[in-house]
Amino acid sequence: MTKPIYQLVDELPENNITVMALKTLDNIIPGQWENITNFEEMIRRVTGETDEQMIQKIGERAVWLFNDKTQGYQNALWLYQTVDKADYALGAAALANKIGEKINLFGFLNKITPNNEKAQVIDLVIKIVAELVAFCQINGLPGDSINDFVAALAEYEKESLVRMAALVCFDAIIPFGADFVLTIQSTLAKLSPQELNQNPVFSQVSRFIPGDNPENQLQFITESFEAVKGWMISFVTSNAITRSGIMANLHSFIEFSESQFDYLAAFLDITTNYFEHTGIQSIARSLISRAMFEV
Amino acid sequence: MFAKTVSRFLVGFSLFFLLTLSACNTQPPSRFEQAQQESIAAGSKNTAVSPNAVKGSSLNQFFPAGGGEYERVFTQEKDGFVQAKLKFQGKDVAILAIFDTISNPDAKKDFQGATEQINGFPLIEKGTNNSAVLVGDRFQVSVRSTDPTFGKEQRRQWLEKFDLAGLSQLK
Repeated sequence: MTKPIYQLVDELPENNITVMALKTLDNIIPGQWENITNFEEMIRRVTGETDEQMIQKIGERAVWLFNDKTQGYQNALWLYQTVDKADYALGAAALANKIGEKINLFGFLNKITPNNEKAQVIDLVIKIVAELVAFCQINGLPGDSINDFVAALAEYEKESLVRMAALVCFDAIIPFGADFVLTIQSTLAKLSPQELNQNPVFSQVSRFIPGDNPENQLQFITESFEAVKGWMISFVTSNAITRSGIMANLHSFIEFSESQFDYLAAFLDITTNYFEHTGIQSIARSLISRAMFEV
Repeated sequence: MFAKTVSRFLVGFSLFFLLTLSACNTQPPSRFEQAQQESIAAGSKNTAVSPNAVKGSSLNQFFPAGGGEYERVFTQEKDGFVQAKLKFQGKDVAILAIFDTISNPDAKKDFQGATEQINGFPLIEKGTNNSAVLVGDRFQVSVRSTDPTFGKEQRRQWLEKFDLAGLSQLK
């Protein structure tokens, strides 16, 4: 059984590698993300409510809405958790005692294997589609509304915006550099439905991806990327994001050399769960924002 | 007989384990714990939202359009609930919503003592920075300020811009 929504929020770490990595993005999207790890605090922030009785009612309504499986929130939670989980548990455990000291990547080189380009691309595009499907589940749009999702991206803020910023920076620019769109497109063009089907994360989340077989799902994934790439490019351009800039920010807590970007990408992959962390915050915010009108 | 003994042992053991665990647990229970227990006991489907709630898409038409420097952006469309944010000169100032109270009739109770009306429907201030009307004894229409420049008067003006009469005819 899924944990109650208040417990999911209350158990979010106040500080770990995920939080430190996300905080480096504050240079790019200043003031957008605060790491709220208390459900009651989130109710107060989202609603601006000071009436204790209202706060109680709103929290209770959010609890009921989250537990009602017809409402999509649990599907969204599962998606956010699943696309992040592949290697995370392993990396997080190895580094649990490293918080507070600067992490030296050289000490991990023998423990990390950089993903090959194809695996990295599949990981990225599945995260994009998971975001699209989770967005639709949370906000009540049909699961194949690519255009509605792209329109909504312009309105993304706070937890949702930092999640997309992390996707662009950590999963696209660091591994692929400024030409990430071309690399992703050419990899997707060569990818066969069979190869996609063999990917462990895809096979887990495929039942949520529109299309009734891997061939149609690959087409949906490609169309989703084509629709979202404009937003990604404009996000990178308007915020003057570069690989060296992102890496300079990450130097605040990780030691590495500039040539080790592929190791850095793999390191972030196994030591962060930013989709799950910010996904829980997005779900809670959306629930509260609905619940405050349903009491 | 054996099964009975085993089950007794298991129940005893579980109780002991639970008590020990809860004794070690220093976290105070959440103020929402009771709602969680009641919700889980009620089941996992159609517990928060009535299957008879109107489709969210049928509510969109009753929202006021933007206009001038105001922009309306729909943000959520769920069964019996639609929400939009209102922007003024590109900045969020309020959230507009319609809720079908069939999923939570308790929401209607607050309107019983209403002394004001909009277009004949009871109007109240509900919570902080939030004005609401109850339409056709069923639909709660709300405007909640998200910016201090958008006050009570503006909330009421925007409530009047909804097609309240049209909404009252929705079944």
